[in-house]
Amino acid sequence: MINITAYKCKKCGRIHYPRHERCLSCKHREFEEIKPEGNAKLLTFTQIFNLPWGFDERFLIIGVAQFENGVKAMGQIKAEDAADLHTGMPLTASWEPVRYVQGEPVYGLKFAPM
Amino acid sequence: MRDVAVIGVGMIPFGRRDQDTLMDMLAYASMKALDDAGLGDKGVDALYVGNMGAGILQHQSSIASALVDRLSLLPAAAEAIENGPASGGSAVKNGVLAVASGYYDVVLVAGGEKMREVTGWRATDFVATMTHPEVEYPYGITLPGMAGMFTRLYMEKYGLTREMLVEVAIKNQKMGALNPYAHVEMMITKEGIYESPHSVVNNPPAADPLHLYDACPVSDGAAALVLCPLEMAAKLTKNVPVLVAGFGQATDTHTLQERDDPTDLKAVTLAAQQAFERAKLKPEDIHVAELHDAFTVLEIAESEHVGFFKKGEGGKAVLAGKTRLGGKLPINVSGGLKARGHPVGATGVAQVVDIVWQLRHELPEDRQVKNAQNGLTVNFGGFGNNVVCFILRRVEQ
Repeated sequence: MINITAYKCKKCGRIHYPRHERCLSCKHREFEEIKPEGNAKLLTFTQIFNLPWGFDERFLIIGVAQFENGVKAMGQIKAEDAADLHTGMPLTASWEPVRYVQGEPVYGLKFAPM
Repeated sequence: MRDVAVIGVGMIPFGRRDQDTLMDMLAYASMKALDDAGLGDKGVDALYVGNMGAGILQHQSSIASALVDRLSLLPAAAEAIENGPASGGSAVKNGVLAVASGYYDVVLVAGGEKMREVTGWRATDFVATMTHPEVEYPYGITLPGMAGMFTRLYMEKYGLTREMLVEVAIKNQKMGALNPYAHVEMMITKEGIYESPHSVVNNPPAADPLHLYDACPVSDGAAALVLCPLEMAAKLTKNVPVLVAGFGQATDTHTLQERDDPTDLKAVTLAAQQAFERAKLKPEDIHVAELHDAFTVLEIAESEHVGFFKKGEGGKAVLAGKTRLGGKLPINVSGGLKARGHPVGATGVAQVVDIVWQLRHELPEDRQVKNAQNGLTVNFGGFGNNVVCFILRRVEQ
């Protein structure tokens, strides 16, 4: 189960992730809590080789994808090379450890090409 | 509101300054600015310090209180301003507002950062702390990574090419090699970083599609300036006063993913529009600009978003030589962040200092934009979520 909560404005329908106190479009304050649904479409991505403190990998591929119900989110992408990816491609999503802090896993979104 | 002038500027060479503490660097740059203004033993009413990470990198807080004491400027008001990589620009803006309001007459603004004290891993992590702590940072995203994702979209939408990015890097490192304050004083060639088989080794991918030479270095450094009401400038200094003709600041969503069009740097456009409106000038009136080229793509994108070129035309302008010294609109004659370096809290102040030197016509011929009257700066915080823009004008006496 993907442990993300997005927020759909009850007035204009704009979907927010992360949370805002007021709608970015219409300033309305009431939201319906929704979960990402279905597969995702890759919007953009990068392969980074100079990683921040806390990662032991040789590189990370990170992207932003949009789920079928409109939720957009960043996540790590399971691929060997950014050259294997292209914007618009379909992805599956899973909830897995994305880093470890003092030996404890931190869970987040991982995408994989379908 | 009163007109505000820059009457003194100072900078120390950027780079790796193991011998200096953050406070040393801020103090050296500040004394240069005070002496450049010719204030002698006169005090200032207030001090604003732009800094992003002393609390994280140096384990030091209240740096403005420390600096005002170090400079023997007591009992001047003093405070630090943190706005990520736009901390320097925000510090200048707060200084300008303080003088413009009539509350203070003479204000010192300093910006500094000491980033080489920690490992590259730590420095990258420090800069990444400006990303969203829940929906971005945990994934290991870095600022080069954000720029890489932005570049991919810009290439797809506007036909931006790697060749255009390479030309920005070559241009800015050429100018950096002439700048005694620059961190990177090494010229590069198209063959070396793009066209030859060796370029794969010389210029490896850093954040695809960006490569090593698309990014600015991690730097130590500081810069400072002195502000006063324009009407008082002639009494306080012999320097040609440079008017802060206008400024603008605007914000955008914290995360790239929530922007309707992630290639649209709205905060840059809005900040520039405010600055032009206040200065009563248009983009075609600008003779020299310092844009926030933390990544080569940003120089091109910002040049379009402030209105110098239409969307999709900025890269072509670089290829045509329009943004070189001697071109129609020289951009980043200092070498920009790409070569001068990017000690994050110093950058916004350093950009203004470089434009002031240009407008005072004090630079050597190989770096001076001839007869420059109006200059513009863009200081880009976060990944475009908090942007400060200044327009400066030479005041003939």
